[in-house]
Amino acid sequence: MVATKTLGVDGPLFKRALLGSLTWLGANHEEVNRLNVFPVPDGDTGTNMLLTLQSAVEDVKESNAAEVSKIAKLASHGSLMGARGNSGVILSQIFRGFARAVEGKSSLTPAELAAAFEEAANAAYRAVNKPTEGTILTVAREAGRAAATAASTPDATVPRVIAGAAAGARAAVQKTPSQLQILRDAGVVDAGGFGLQLILEGMLKTIEESDPAFAALAESKKPVIPAAQVALDLPEGGWGYCTEFLIEGANLDTELIRGQIEALGNSVLVVGEPELVKVHVHTDDPTRVINLAGGYGKLLKLNVGDMSTQHRRILETEGGGQGAAHRPNGIGIAAVVAGRGLVDIFRGLGVDAIIEGGQTMNPSTQDMLTAIESVPYDEVILLPNNGNVIAAAKQVVGLTKKKVHLVETHSVPQGVSAVVAFRPERPAAENLRAIRAEAERVQTIEVTHAVRDTRSNGVKVRKGDVIGLINAKLEFAGDDYAEVVKQALGKLGPDSYELVTVYRGEQATDAEMSKLESEIRSHYPGLEVEVQQGGQQHYPFILSVE
Amino acid sequence: MKRSFAVVTDSTADLPREWRERYGIEVVPLKVLFGKETFRDGVDMNNEEFFRRLAASTTLPTTSAPSPGEFADVYRRLARDHDGCISIHIGAQLSATAEAARVGASSVDGFKVEVVDSQTVSMPVAFLCRVAAEYETLEAATAAVRPRVPKTRVLALLDTLRYLEMGGRLSRAQAMIGTMLDLKPLLLVANAEIKPVDRVRTRSRAISRMVDYFKGDLPVEHMAVMHAQAADEAEQIADALRRDLPGREVTVGQIGCVLGTHTGPKALGLVYLKS
Repeated sequence: MVATKTLGVDGPLFKRALLGSLTWLGANHEEVNRLNVFPVPDGDTGTNMLLTLQSAVEDVKESNAAEVSKIAKLASHGSLMGARGNSGVILSQIFRGFARAVEGKSSLTPAELAAAFEEAANAAYRAVNKPTEGTILTVAREAGRAAATAASTPDATVPRVIAGAAAGARAAVQKTPSQLQILRDAGVVDAGGFGLQLILEGMLKTIEESDPAFAALAESKKPVIPAAQVALDLPEGGWGYCTEFLIEGANLDTELIRGQIEALGNSVLVVGEPELVKVHVHTDDPTRVINLAGGYGKLLKLNVGDMSTQHRRILETEGGGQGAAHRPNGIGIAAVVAGRGLVDIFRGLGVDAIIEGGQTMNPSTQDMLTAIESVPYDEVILLPNNGNVIAAAKQVVGLTKKKVHLVETHSVPQGVSAVVAFRPERPAAENLRAIRAEAERVQTIEVTHAVRDTRSNGVKVRKGDVIGLINAKLEFAGDDYAEVVKQALGKLGPDSYELVTVYRGEQATDAEMSKLESEIRSHYPGLEVEVQQGGQQHYPFILSVE
Repeated sequence: MKRSFAVVTDSTADLPREWRERYGIEVVPLKVLFGKETFRDGVDMNNEEFFRRLAASTTLPTTSAPSPGEFADVYRRLARDHDGCISIHIGAQLSATAEAARVGASSVDGFKVEVVDSQTVSMPVAFLCRVAAEYETLEAATAAVRPRVPKTRVLALLDTLRYLEMGGRLSRAQAMIGTMLDLKPLLLVANAEIKPVDRVRTRSRAISRMVDYFKGDLPVEHMAVMHAQAADEAEQIADALRRDLPGREVTVGQIGCVLGTHTGPKALGLVYLKS
């Protein structure tokens, strides 16, 4: 095997190896995405790693450098410039460590290659604030160790060292669930670690192609990937904000900056060169981080993401949103709402306190008072959202030291419009004007059953009839929800409106829901129809028309 | 007199073809990636093809900035018959393009490149290029362009926040729509920030809010209505503006592939340069 023994890693070979990694990761990055549960299950680890690797290879592609050191340096710089997400940043540090280790070398012997793999892992460990085992870090270290073992044998060759690294990575990936509880619970291996394994396997495949004699030696097997993304409990205090940026400056001291950033959050990564430093932190106070970093130089590629929202989106149980943000005008909102879906909708729009209640379960003045006191602002907008609640709501205004603005919303649609119009940076007077105007603009259709024989507004109804109310006034009776809604929309004049939002009540069946929806669509094709699970009692359907 | 310097921008400036020819502006394309397939914005793929493909694609495309090397190539070519260039690009808060231009420029010796981070996106960048192209020297052009950067405004009305969110540019919380209701956020890009200025439930209301906001910002130096597959609405908005502002040029432009990746179809924009 003389030919194999003389094969060293020079610039062209390393370049081909990197391109091979890119191809292999590119072919498999969706699988990496599916494994992503830590630290935020946003399903983009594979994409982030791929984009980082692409960036690493971007300049390498254009280079014909003979020296491995030059290619490694290009990859290091490129990956730092394009690093995305946690795993991407760690990957950029692996490249950086590798580049440092091979500095000044034109070609690597098997032992030098193994040493570079080990140094790459060490650099990655140093870059991370609190290294977590069972992640890409562990996989990098085990790959380095396995490479060193392969290099220490008498018949060590470059392909064997890379094969050793890939096998070490594979074994380490399989062990990640035993190191990290969250992976064990999810029944998956670590996504970032798996990504690194793919990168090493891609290199191996390339080397095999350059050296057919070697091809039989190593067989790259893909691990069996257990099922995908899982629900995780939201940690107390939320996930905070994922804050990422580059600092461009002179003589930047990564150690010093890291120390200061660490005080402001977790999952801290501060890496880079004296002229360009990449910062990644999960923090509750991104503004402080940005202000601190801004003192060191120019901030580039600033990106702040609310991880709680990302997290909830993954779980498809959204909420919070605006509620989590700071309210510059210091005004809170309390709303009377019944029905699980409606409660979620109001919370999602930024309502601070919900008072359970409505048509048949009118909340007491005390209930409303308690809710208002729980709002963390001294000025509170109160939305009764039901005509029967307004009287009790009026009582509340004088009972608290807080300044309470009662906006007399008579229905759920009015309440929703009111909250949508609320803007956290507008002063109270302006907000109240906008909120009242919006609440008055929306038309409400409520569909329910008559509880007794009666005659109202010229409409004769018998107990049990389906009745339709427009803005709380009885307008139609019949025996079919869809028919009553059709008449009510006809009376409002569908040409003057664009959007019908249907809040589906607890007792409405799927068949009734789909019939109602299709009847509206076919009779009033100019109207957009949106269906929301309201979960309210007594009203199978509440419709907002605007 | 012929300009001695070149004007360079990137494909996210949505520079109308006619301006490109009339003012001699060089456009460096960003890239759109559908899976493993890469397309140069406006070169390998036009707007229609892009939105057709977007509608048919099961996974969302991603985008990437030109590499520093691509910029260096352009600058080297321009260096043959120009004594320098102004290179005006999409805001650094949104893209690595200006950064790539800067790194690319540093590798070309003996050719002066003024890289301008426009802090904005779409046609306001083209407005800045047009301003630059009116001057005879690089110094004068730079002096005219830089003070206009803080005056750029983009009002954007997206049909859905899905694309912007998936691209990591803005979260639902930041857009004030952390909810399951289908809200239309009206966003403003100004001074290197994207912020929500309003949220409403229907598109026509959102359009009238957008126009009202714009009117509150008058007077303006240049303005345009941008759209992604919403030409009729864009023309209606433009016609209304022309009636309100007689004699003023109101351009209607199309959102390119890279921008379209983040706005999604049916996006509308009212973009301008405040006086």
